Amino acid sequence: MRDDSGKVESREAAVLASIPELLEAPGLGAAHFAGPGESDATLPVLLEIGCEEIPARFLVDAERQLGERLEKALVEARLVRQEAGAVAVAATEPGQRQRRAAKPPDKSRSRVKTFSTPRRLIAHVGSLLVKQPDQTEEVTGPPIKVAFDAEGKPTRAAESFASKNGVEVKDLLHVETAKGLYLAAKKMTIGRAAVEVLADLLPKVIAGMTFPKSMVWEETGVRFVRPIRWIVALLGEGDQSKIIPFEVAGVKSGNITRSHRLARKPQVAVTGFKDYTNKLRRGHVEIDPERRRRRVRQQIQKLLASDTPELVSSLEPEASPLAPYADVSAPIPENRAPVSNLVPDADLEGWVVASTEWPQPILGSFEQRFLELPREILITVMRDHQKYFALEPAGSDGESGAGPESRDGGLMPSFVTMLNVPGDPQGIIRRGHERVLTARLEDAGFFWHADQKIPLPDRVALLERVTYHDKLGSYADKIRRTRSIAEFICAELESENQLNPGQKGHALRAVELCKCDLTTQMVQEFTEIQGIVGGLYAKAQGEPDEVWQAIYDHYKPVNLDDRCPRSVVGAVVSLADKLDAVIGGFSVGLEPTGSSDPFGLRRAGNGIVKIATEALPGLDLYNLASRAHQEIEPILSSRVAGGWKQIESFLSERLAFYLEAVAGLKYDTIRAVLSPEVSHSWNVPSRVLERAKALEAARKSADFQALAAAAKRTRNILTKSAKPEDFGARMPVSAELLRSQEERELYSASEAARAELAVLESGSDCKAAFHRLAKLRPAVDQFFDKVMVMDPDLALRANRLRLLSDLDTLAFRRFADLSELEAAVAPDS
Amino acid sequence: MHTLNFQDMMAALSRFWANQGCVIALPYDLEVGAGTMCPETFLRVLGPDPWKVAYPQPSRRPADGRYGENPNRLLKHTQMQVILKPPPADIQDLYLRSLAELGIRLRDHDIRFEEDNWEAPTLGAWGTGWQVMLDGLEITQFTYFQQCGGLDLDPVSAEITYGLERIAAFLQDVPSVYDIRWSDQHTYGEIRLQEELELSVYDFEAASPEVCRTLLDTYEGECLRLLGSYRDFSARRFPLRKAYELCLKCSHLFNILDARGAISVTERVALIARIRRMAVGVARIYVSRMQPAEGLEPVGEVQPA
Repeated sequence: MRDDSGKVESREAAVLASIPELLEAPGLGAAHFAGPGESDATLPVLLEIGCEEIPARFLVDAERQLGERLEKALVEARLVRQEAGAVAVAATEPGQRQRRAAKPPDKSRSRVKTFSTPRRLIAHVGSLLVKQPDQTEEVTGPPIKVAFDAEGKPTRAAESFASKNGVEVKDLLHVETAKGLYLAAKKMTIGRAAVEVLADLLPKVIAGMTFPKSMVWEETGVRFVRPIRWIVALLGEGDQSKIIPFEVAGVKSGNITRSHRLARKPQVAVTGFKDYTNKLRRGHVEIDPERRRRRVRQQIQKLLASDTPELVSSLEPEASPLAPYADVSAPIPENRAPVSNLVPDADLEGWVVASTEWPQPILGSFEQRFLELPREILITVMRDHQKYFALEPAGSDGESGAGPESRDGGLMPSFVTMLNVPGDPQGIIRRGHERVLTARLEDAGFFWHADQKIPLPDRVALLERVTYHDKLGSYADKIRRTRSIAEFICAELESENQLNPGQKGHALRAVELCKCDLTTQMVQEFTEIQGIVGGLYAKAQGEPDEVWQAIYDHYKPVNLDDRCPRSVVGAVVSLADKLDAVIGGFSVGLEPTGSSDPFGLRRAGNGIVKIATEALPGLDLYNLASRAHQEIEPILSSRVAGGWKQIESFLSERLAFYLEAVAGLKYDTIRAVLSPEVSHSWNVPSRVLERAKALEAARKSADFQALAAAAKRTRNILTKSAKPEDFGARMPVSAELLRSQEERELYSASEAARAELAVLESGSDCKAAFHRLAKLRPAVDQFFDKVMVMDPDLALRANRLRLLSDLDTLAFRRFADLSELEAAVAPDS
Repeated sequence: MHTLNFQDMMAALSRFWANQGCVIALPYDLEVGAGTMCPETFLRVLGPDPWKVAYPQPSRRPADGRYGENPNRLLKHTQMQVILKPPPADIQDLYLRSLAELGIRLRDHDIRFEEDNWEAPTLGAWGTGWQVMLDGLEITQFTYFQQCGGLDLDPVSAEITYGLERIAAFLQDVPSVYDIRWSDQHTYGEIRLQEELELSVYDFEAASPEVCRTLLDTYEGECLRLLGSYRDFSARRFPLRKAYELCLKCSHLFNILDARGAISVTERVALIARIRRMAVGVARIYVSRMQPAEGLEPVGEVQPA
């Protein structure tokens, strides 16, 4: 390793200075690779794709994708041993990928370790076979009778097959196949050296990556998320390392990486992963996002605990190499309790980690007078626009509201921002940030006062000019539709005594005003807090609590992890708004297809189901949605016939998704309760949830599993072996025709259960219902053991089929379609 | 170091980019919303010919008018526009060096490239890139153009757009853009404040929406008439740039109407499509005239937005 003598100040000089080092870099062209006898030898691989700044929101997925693609390519190229803890790269469903997107990739399971910074995607493979194993395969050729003529001489077919495989006809084999005797060739493929294979494979892995938004920037036309500017590709470590030579997007691979933009030595030659990691740390780049995340947390804690929080002591870039990360975790002074806490924000933390190579927090402040602005607005300005963490007084972290921005309590007139440089010794950067924030807060303060000169009710008329959607008209049109849906919901709830007339009035008032904030300057500037802003203005303008809170909450829940509106009134407004979005969207052909959902209807559908299940239990969603559809479809200018069927199955799908994602139920439990065989299967989502949970618990018992098996058998007999008209499904079972003991017992067991099950069906105790069903097991088992349903005597057969058909309706598809349940491997007894 | 005044900044950036081989063009003599709309950008990024240009461009956005009362918002602000076609591999470094020319000591600051993709539906143009943040302040828009006039670009161009007032207020550490020293003798306010007030009064109050509409219709009619008569001219003599200027006139009138809140729900979408149609028509003629062999139908079916 060369030392850093000959220090130079200018960047150009530093580049020049690194060139001799590059030329003399050890190991170039002098690697010793395993000979033919040592095919088990392995070497590490380092790949770094150097880019211009990759958008933070794509980085986690890009890193994972590189790992998955590389792993797959190496397995296919037989460069990694199958047995070495191989983990197949699991294909993920688009929905799952999204749900996992916020989490860091699981690095422990793969042989390809990946890392990333905004300027690089990195893969490191610990041990790769130096050479592919040789491979022998048998290739089947023409049938023997075609390959040789009557005299046993090879035909053209045999000769061309032999020459195609590079062997003589006499060396071909005869193999027995299912179709007869065939000619075959043993084909030996000599494994290629890893360096050659990698030189072919790596460019394909890189160029094959896909991104939600990609671009071209040079003449080969490769698409990538941002321009690729350098590539490090090394096989081996230290003296033995060797560049894997290839070119992608006009960039040749090499052994030179780049430090932090401001580092004294912008380019450095590296000899392997360890050397690379160390040199980059010295160059102010931490490649491991998890270490950056720890550093962010520790440094913020340190910052908030320090005596003089506004002074961040840190090493200057010009000074000696930065302290290694171990020092970052130096004990935090515990004698001082911090006066302020960070308002926790996992998304912002993720952004910070993905947008820095060398994160360093600093503390800034703003003028006390801005604290007159609502907490929500202050946090939005800081977080969404400036990527700052807000601070609140220590000890105010009680969980009371829905999110960090809407918790009660004031903020501190200060913030934490994350730099991508080692420090700000003179406070220049802090002053810059404070200046920008002040201007932003001045704007917000101006909007706060200016907007209120036109109160929300006076803004209703302005909504005529705000487009909701081309084909669905303005927001004023949307409000008219939403209002009629809200009236239905209110009537429904009033009849169940879940809503009083005062609340109905509040709900309709909130519907009227809920979109008015779209005309305010505040929302035009800070679109992400629409709804919340309306709620805050309504509150400031003296609307009753239930009204302003309903406006504030009417976008909630924005996803399945979010909370429902805090009141029944809010739930009504949110539900009406979302039903209008779904019904309107489907009516003009905006329904989600595959991974595309241009109008966010799945999200709206999830919100509908969540509200109906959690906030308005007992609500008959099916009935409500179909009435809403009938009511508003004629209002819409463009109609698509048959829309209701689509909406119905869409809502039922959303409910199934909810039961799986939120309640964690098994898919066949869900299919059983939502089966179309069960009448009104999804009408009342809260009851569906109870039923599904009860079924999930009940199905574990051996009795119930036997019953489920019987249900399957019954359904098979009834649908495959018999036709309803053959046995008169509608006719009652004749007691006289019941010949055997077992069928009489099943009959009396059914009759005994009938009244009880009817009572249970009208009640809400699903557990008891499934428990009662399970008691039918002995009679059902006995029947199937001893009685032959398809008796040659047609009268007996028809009567038995009627008995089963009756049982099916009475029990097997009463509360759930038990035939949908899959058998468990080992039932509890 | 002596802090540059506003005109020194324009001179320093012009000199820097001239040294990189850029033509230093004059600001365009029509109302535009951004330097991108000038023919030196909109037309020259089309087609295969390499091109490097830099120019300051006063850019008007009626909706941003504040009667000269807001310290940070201007109806007419000044962009420094740079186009490099094709973009050199060290373009980010070049850009950072240009900041040093303005007196920004890179080592004292935190400069970040944060994702910001640009799109101009009226021009049928979009690109990927960043907003460049200097200690939390957005100072530059940096874009790799992917499409312009509805046409895929090959080669692509890199566009660097500096917001000069912001950078100047930051460097001179003044609380309002009107306090910026334009020259050593005059402030920005002395030169521009009255103009901001007058433009705001016209765009927000005095402009007659009816007249703006009539003008828009007239300019559009003239533009489409020209585009439709393309085949009546020998290709070289066709007054393409005039057709484009008519399109720009319409774009500015649309912005005034929009700032007045005079555009209804459906009209807005339709107006954007009308302007885009003109821009796309101009772009197609420009390219087909340059590369007749490519067989691009010059006044072919123009896709609405």
